[in-house]
Amino acid sequence: MSTSRQLVQKTLGKRYARERRFRWYGALSILVGILFLGFLLVTTVSNGYKAFVQTYVQIDVDLSAAQFGGEITPESIAAANFDGIIKDSLRNAFPEVSGRTDRRALYGLVSNGAQYDLREMLLEDPSLAGGVTPVWLLADDEVDVFMKGRIDRNEPEANRRLKDNAIGWIDQWVDEGRVEKRFNEPFFTNGDSREPEQAGIFGAIMGSFFTIAVCMLLAFPIGVAAAIYLQEFAPKNRITDIIEVNINNLAAVPSIIFGLLGLAIFLNAFGLPRSVPLVGGMVLSLMTLPTIIISSRAALAAVPPSIREAALGVGASPIQTVLHHVLPLAMPGMLTGSIIGLAQALGETAPLLVIGMVAFIVDVPTSPLDPGTALPVQIYLWSDSPERAFVERTSAAIMVLLMFLVAINGFIVLLRKKLERRW
Amino acid sequence: MNILLLLFAGFILGPAFLILALNFTRHNRVLRKRVELLITTFLISCACIAIFTTVGIVLSVLFESIRFFQAVPITDFLFGLEWSPQTAIRSDQVGSSGAFGAVPLFAGTFLITIIAMIIAVPLGLMSAIYLSEYATPMVRAFAKPLLEILAGIPTVVYGFFAALTVAPMIRRTADSLGFDVSSESALAAGVVMGIMILPFVSSLSDDVINSVPQAMRDGSYGLGATRSETIRKVILPAALPGIVGSFLLAVSRAIGETMIVVMAAGLAANLTANPFESVTTVTVQIVTLLVGDQEFDSPKTLAAFALGLVLFVITLILNVIALRVVRKYKEQYE
Repeated sequence: MSTSRQLVQKTLGKRYARERRFRWYGALSILVGILFLGFLLVTTVSNGYKAFVQTYVQIDVDLSAAQFGGEITPESIAAANFDGIIKDSLRNAFPEVSGRTDRRALYGLVSNGAQYDLREMLLEDPSLAGGVTPVWLLADDEVDVFMKGRIDRNEPEANRRLKDNAIGWIDQWVDEGRVEKRFNEPFFTNGDSREPEQAGIFGAIMGSFFTIAVCMLLAFPIGVAAAIYLQEFAPKNRITDIIEVNINNLAAVPSIIFGLLGLAIFLNAFGLPRSVPLVGGMVLSLMTLPTIIISSRAALAAVPPSIREAALGVGASPIQTVLHHVLPLAMPGMLTGSIIGLAQALGETAPLLVIGMVAFIVDVPTSPLDPGTALPVQIYLWSDSPERAFVERTSAAIMVLLMFLVAINGFIVLLRKKLERRW
Repeated sequence: MNILLLLFAGFILGPAFLILALNFTRHNRVLRKRVELLITTFLISCACIAIFTTVGIVLSVLFESIRFFQAVPITDFLFGLEWSPQTAIRSDQVGSSGAFGAVPLFAGTFLITIIAMIIAVPLGLMSAIYLSEYATPMVRAFAKPLLEILAGIPTVVYGFFAALTVAPMIRRTADSLGFDVSSESALAAGVVMGIMILPFVSSLSDDVINSVPQAMRDGSYGLGATRSETIRKVILPAALPGIVGSFLLAVSRAIGETMIVVMAAGLAANLTANPFESVTTVTVQIVTLLVGDQEFDSPKTLAAFALGLVLFVITLILNVIALRVVRKYKEQYE
C-alpha cells in the first residue's frame, strides 16, 4: 500500500466529520432564520389576537323622558347630557358606592366614548328612550385588559391600575351576565384615539390607501416610461451609462434620505402642507421608482427581438413597435415589479415620519390632502403608548398590515402564474 | 400648488393622451412624426427624473448642511465628542449653542452595524451555501420563500418586536446571569437588525455562488475533495469579490436602517463599545430632531440634514464600491 493512500485513509474520518459539521452549520443557519420568523409571528399573533374582540358591559340606563327635558324629540336627544345619564345609571347600579374617589373609579369602568355611542343609538332608534333600558356599552380599556386575563388579581393592589373595588364590581357584573366580549368593530371603523378602547386603524388604512394611490399613480407611468426609454431607445453612451448607475444607486439609498428630500423640497421649497398623504405618496414614489424601472427593464429585455423585427418589417415606426407590440407583452412583468414596489411602499415608515405624517389625527382622511397617517406609522405611534391595551392593538395592527402584504404577494404569485409567458 | 397639480395631470394623463394621439395620426406621416417626437421627449424626461431625484437629494441635503456648518464648525461636528442638540431649541435661551459633536452617533451606528453583521454574515452566508450546494430541490423550494418572507416584513414590525420581546428577553437573561443591561441595549437592536438583513445577505450570496461555473466544482470533486472542501477552498475564493460586494451592500443597509433603532435603541448619545449599554445612531437622531414641531432655521433641525449628508455620502460610497465589485465579478464568469 502506497504511503499517500495510507495518508488519505487516515485522515478520511476527520474529513468526513468536518463535512458533516459544515453541512450542519448550513442547515442550522436556515433553521435560525425560520425559527426567528416563527417566533416573531407567534408572539405578534398571541399578543394581538385578543384585540379583535372587545369587552362591553350591560347597564340599565335611565332613559326616562325626564332626562330629555320632558319630551323625547331628535333635538332633545341630541342636546341631552349622556355623560350624566351614564353616571347616574352607574350610581343606581351600585348605590352603596360613595365618596369621590370610589365614584370616579366606578365611572371609569365605562369608556368615556360610550356617551356618544349611546346618543347615536338613540338617534337611530328613539323608541329605546322612555324608561329604564338595559344597554350594552363599551367598557374602559382597563376592564377590557382585565377581562382578557392580562391583569393578575393576585398581585398587590398598589401595582395594579384596576383596584380591588373595581374588580369587585366587575365580578358582580360577570355573575349577572352583564359582561360580554364582542367583535371589535370600532377597531376597524375608528380613527386614532388617546383611549385604547376607542382607537381604530381605519384612519391609518385610509391614509395608507391615499399615500399608496398617489405613489403608484406617479411611479408607475414614470417608471415604465423611463424603462422604455432606457431599454429600447437610449443610445449607448456616457449619459445613459450615468443614468443607469444612478438608478442602481438610488435603489440602495436609505429610505430616510428620501424623507429629508421631501422635507426640504416638497414642504419647504414648494410649501406643500405637512402630514398629508399627497406628499407622502410623492416621497414614496421617488423611493419606489428605481424598483419599478429595474423590473420593467427586465420585463422589456425578456421580450424576444423577433417581435420587434416583425413589427419593424411590416413598416411600423420604432415608437409604434414598442407601444403596440413590445409593451403589451412586457406588461405582466412590469405590473409584477410595480406591485413589489407597492408592497415596499406600504411597509415604509421612516420617510413618512420625517415629513410629519406622525401627528395624532383622530379624523379619518377623505382625500389625499387631508392630514393623515399611514398604517406602519400608526404602529409606531401606538408602540410608544404606555397603556397595556395599546400593546394588543399594536400587534393587531401589525397583523392587519402583514395580512395586506400577504394578500399583495399572493396576488403577485397569481399574476405571474396567469400572465407571464416564457419564450 | 396649482403648478403641482398640473404636473400631476401631466404625468398621469400625458401618456394616455399621447397614445391616443399616436392612433389618430397613424395615417398622417408628418403629424405622426411630431407625436412621436413628443412621446420620445416624454420618455426622456421620465428617465431624467431619476437623475433629478439624486440631484435633489444632494442639493437639499447639501444646502441645509452648509447652513448648519455656518452655525457650527464642521470640525466640531465631525470630531466633537458630545452630542446634546436638545438644548438648542430657541436662540435666546441660556446655553443655546447645544453640542453637536457627532462622534458618539457614528460610534453607536458602527456598534449596532457590527452586531448586525456578526449575526447576518455567518448565518446569511451559511444559508446561501446550504441552499445552493446542499439542499434538495424540495428543501430549497420550502426554505427559500420562508427566508424571503423575512425580507418582506416591514421594519417597523421588527422594531416593535425588538423593543417589546427581544430587549426584555436579553435583559432578563442578563439579569439572571448577574449582568446589568440597559433596556435599550445596542445588542437587542443589533441582533434584530442582523436577522432583518440575513435574507438580504443570503440571497445576494446565493446569486454569487450560483454564478461560479460548474466546471470548477467538478474539477475539485475529481481530485477527491469533499463538498465542504470544494466550497471552502474553491467556490468561496472564486466567489469572494461578489460575496464581499454583497456584504458591503448589507452594511450600507444596516447603517441606513431607521425604524428598528428608533424603536429599540436609545436616545442617549453614549460613547461606548459595550453592547449592553444604550447607544444612539445617526438615523435615530435624524428622526428625533425632525419629528414634532420645529423651526426650520434652528441649528437643531439643520443638524438633521448634516447627519443626512454624512449618511448619504457613506452609504453612497459603499453602494458604488459594492455594485462595481459585484458587476466586475459577474462579468468575469460570463
